[in-house]
Amino acid sequence: MAFVEQLISNLLYGAILGSVYGLATMGLSLIFGVLRIVNVGHGAFIMVGAFIAYWMFILYGIPPLISLFLAIAVGMAIGLAIYMLVVKRLVDAPELASLLAMFAIGIFIEEFAKQIWGADYVGYSWEIGGVSMLFTEVPFTKLLAFASSIVIAAVVYVWFRKTKIGKAVRAVVEDREGATTCGIDVNRIYALSFSLGIGLTVLSGVLVTLFTPVGINVYMGGEYTLKAFVIAVLGGLASPWGAFYAGFIFGLIENGSYTLLGLIPGVEPFGLTRFLSSVVLMLVLLVKPTGLLGGE
Amino acid sequence: MLKNVGGENVSKSKWLLVAILVVSTALILGCAQQQQPTTPAPSGEGKVETLYFGAPISLSGKFAEEGKASLEGMKIAAKWINENGGIKVGDVTYKIEIKAYDDESKKENVQSLIERLATVDKVKFILAPYSSGLTLAAAPIAEKYQVLLNSHGGASDYIFEQGYYYVVQTLSPASRYQTGFLDMVKAKDPNAKRLALVYEDGEFSRAVHEAAREYAKQLGFEIVYEKTYPAGATDLSPILNELKAANPDVLIGGGHFADGQLLAKQLAELKIDLKAISILVAPTFTSFYEALGNKAEGIAGPAQWEVGVKYSPEAAEKLGIEWYGPTQEEFLSAYKEAMGEEPPYQAAEAAAAVLSYAKAIEKAQSLDPAKVREAMNDLEFMSIYGVWKIDPETGKQIGHEMVIIQWQNGEKKIVWPESAANAEPCYPMPTWDEKEGGATCGS
Repeated sequence: MAFVEQLISNLLYGAILGSVYGLATMGLSLIFGVLRIVNVGHGAFIMVGAFIAYWMFILYGIPPLISLFLAIAVGMAIGLAIYMLVVKRLVDAPELASLLAMFAIGIFIEEFAKQIWGADYVGYSWEIGGVSMLFTEVPFTKLLAFASSIVIAAVVYVWFRKTKIGKAVRAVVEDREGATTCGIDVNRIYALSFSLGIGLTVLSGVLVTLFTPVGINVYMGGEYTLKAFVIAVLGGLASPWGAFYAGFIFGLIENGSYTLLGLIPGVEPFGLTRFLSSVVLMLVLLVKPTGLLGGE
Repeated sequence: MLKNVGGENVSKSKWLLVAILVVSTALILGCAQQQQPTTPAPSGEGKVETLYFGAPISLSGKFAEEGKASLEGMKIAAKWINENGGIKVGDVTYKIEIKAYDDESKKENVQSLIERLATVDKVKFILAPYSSGLTLAAAPIAEKYQVLLNSHGGASDYIFEQGYYYVVQTLSPASRYQTGFLDMVKAKDPNAKRLALVYEDGEFSRAVHEAAREYAKQLGFEIVYEKTYPAGATDLSPILNELKAANPDVLIGGGHFADGQLLAKQLAELKIDLKAISILVAPTFTSFYEALGNKAEGIAGPAQWEVGVKYSPEAAEKLGIEWYGPTQEEFLSAYKEAMGEEPPYQAAEAAAAVLSYAKAIEKAQSLDPAKVREAMNDLEFMSIYGVWKIDPETGKQIGHEMVIIQWQNGEKKIVWPESAANAEPCYPMPTWDEKEGGATCGS
């Protein structure tokens, strides 16, 4: 019975974690989908979001939910600036050029952040209580992270499907030249998508701290970059909602498999959960090389 | 003599070097002679000479901060020794000077600097560089030239398992990081038997906790749960849900900064109540309390040394061992005067290494490294840093105890060992529900 209880508890936490993972990957997929640029500095933007949440809370007592709005605004501004200064010139350059540029920007942001926030590991505690759910305790902050991720992902989805400009973005993803002939200003779509992609990523940094409000550090992004890549590929690289679903699945596997792996005697299950997530990724790619929602 | 000199070019430059050396030595001697009358030998009979302790230390690179603090600690200890009679060997009084070179936090530099100190500067007593990695690089070179190497910033047990004779340790090795806490729990509550270990899967935390596990068994603890988590984990709930079912009394674990904070945070979220918790590294930083708020209350962690420890001549007398070196107040004010801030533990451990050399040389009545090393075998004394005593076989530190800090009422208190403590341990720590109601260790 203990086994089932733990499995359910882990799946619950996995679902919450997965939703945050999913949102933290949408920006990466969006930028790749529209501009075909791989943002290897992805984690640095998550870090910026995390520090926005931290600073707002510590300095002004502003709860992270409100910081979400600030984070997307700051993120979009940073994204637009990077697009104008760097990315605009690299859209048609060889892939390696934009890859290196994003890598450099990531390092620059980390080192710049270190000048502002220092190299310490910090955190904040927003105490709003918790609830007993399915054999375990869940703090409301984590439930809020879960709910916000789903709402934000849904908003992005509706925006893409229903608004004119969202449709224009999709047109560019599908066929750039076709879109141009239909009168779509491709450059504007690029600027908007890049800016929105970075904005979503910075915003997800706030959600990351809602889930894990401690251990905030300027170099925290590396871990998320790595996971975001796996999740993005799993979801079909170019598809933001594919990324969201994939993040969800990734979280469930990561936490859920712990209990199952623990049944094997003599292994350290936690180390193996990452292995298992990679195995799932491989299997998905074998069956469907474009990822889960790659075709859409 | 000339036969030993190499090619012609070499010999020319060598002669030039010798000439410079002769001139500069004459100058230095001249100065020394002028100064001598002002510092008469204490006993009136012996002469005063300078003894150099070598120090390849990081003044730049990634260990620059730690290195500078260490060097300042060494200087304070040397100054204290010089002002308190120096080191007497026979009828000669030695005044200590630290010969420091910047190793730039690099292994390659450490090795050539040790070689230079041993061969060019003819230094016989070397204070190791900062960190286990650099000390490990220094050890074989010191061993080769048969000069003593005293580790004050290298905690790894591995260094002392290579069979080196000339390498000794002043700080506590990794294997003793969590043992003091277990002693404390045992002393406070002999009935707390159910111990759990949850730690990061890394070299350092494994060494710490594997040694702690064996020690705990000797103390009569029952290991009810032991799991590791990978570095960079963002959610420890799978392990902690399991841990809760194991129903432990006491938990030790952690690894570095981020995961230590995460472990404490999630124990609070999942409401896993324990009587005592000790986490590596993270709790010793003030950012730990800032991040966790009053959820940090009662959480303990090991530290090599902390400002506020009560090691004193009286504490030494109580234990029946000798006190040597400056008092805490003297050390603190000397450090603050020089650096403008409170000393970190690196300064205290480096100071203790200098003091241990002075004590051992005086005991051996010789400047021969082999004889001094032998004298160290049964040397035991207390200083600002605590007890100094090595295992004769390996040179590993066995006298020094980690001090255990615990967050009490928003302050970092030292609760163990008794000779260092400035507060009573808060045991059992308040439950998470009590803390939610605002409880602290002081209330």
